[in-house]
Amino acid sequence: MYPEGQRVKRITISGALAGLSLVVATTAVSCSRATGIEVSEAWGRPSPSVATAGAFFMTIDNGSPEDDALIGARSPACGAVELHESYMNDEGAMAMRPAEGGRIAIPAGGSAVLEPGGLHVMCIDKLEDFSEGTELELSLHFEQAGDLTLNVEIREP
Amino acid sequence: MTDLQESPRSKPVGRLLPVVLGITVVLALFAWLVLPRLRPHQFSGTVLQSEVPAADFTLTSANGPVSLSDYRGKLVVLYFGYTFCPDVCPTTLSDVNRALAQIGDEAEDVQLIMISVDPARDDPAKLAEYVEFFNPTFVGVTGTDDEVRSAATPFGIWYEAHDEEGASGYLVDHVATLNVIDREGRLKLVIGYGTGADAIAADLEYMLR
Repeated sequence: MYPEGQRVKRITISGALAGLSLVVATTAVSCSRATGIEVSEAWGRPSPSVATAGAFFMTIDNGSPEDDALIGARSPACGAVELHESYMNDEGAMAMRPAEGGRIAIPAGGSAVLEPGGLHVMCIDKLEDFSEGTELELSLHFEQAGDLTLNVEIREP
Repeated sequence: MTDLQESPRSKPVGRLLPVVLGITVVLALFAWLVLPRLRPHQFSGTVLQSEVPAADFTLTSANGPVSLSDYRGKLVVLYFGYTFCPDVCPTTLSDVNRALAQIGDEAEDVQLIMISVDPARDDPAKLAEYVEFFNPTFVGVTGTDDEVRSAATPFGIWYEAHDEEGASGYLVDHVATLNVIDREGRLKLVIGYGTGADAIAADLEYMLR
């Protein structure tokens, strides 16, 4: 092999490794993955301890070619975790209902946004302090991608 | 001998150009800075013309009885919610707190009162701890089912409990507006859910004038 060829090969491999490390590093820092599913901007609203319920919000991206859905969640910070949706009813009142079919769909190549006034992961019977700056563990269960555990920061939006 | 032709720039039109430009700039600045202040405030909430003060109520707080009329002379922001509410109520109370922070010193003259639409689960002590988490000046009140219903009805606040499958127990669907009563005790403004701290602050600031 020509010396130049070897040099190009080495540069290409180093470049690829550097690029890969960068991707891995930024992924680890900013969001969490489980085969095709990426959860970013996860946060929980600060909540007084007398409030029985809390809420987590996040953006879920599905980079895989298969439709997926969030179908459940668990957390050591909550007695029970359910998927809910706030909405305005016919009386102009704000109401809440379980997410339709008990699942939050994330289509292939699409995303689902859980935000105040809409879809959220509801923490029922808070067992830990939901004060600003606290990090709580949340395990999300996806129909296709399986389990994904992440740390959610309690903070103002 | 011919005179030198005058160059175009020394013609009268040329001399006027900087003046015209100057006037245009001044007019543009005027339009940009002054006109917005001359326009009436655009309320995010719905403005009501109430001829008489809003219906008074007396409900129970952790510090004893609280009547709407106790706060005559201040703006009262009345909100109907409950402590089990995981999303809508914390969002709204947090937004009002942020709005008050934006308003600054004048926020002293704004009193938020939350009336619990869930008297069965919300006792006065729990309510106080709940609302004070969002802002130490907030007041939470409750009463019997009838007392709360009587307080809510004149403000057009529809609310209804309904059972939920799952661990949440029952939920209370409720109109989540902020009802702003002016210093004379009249219901003046109804701010819809989700209006956001900036818009709330702007509306309250205008009413504090």
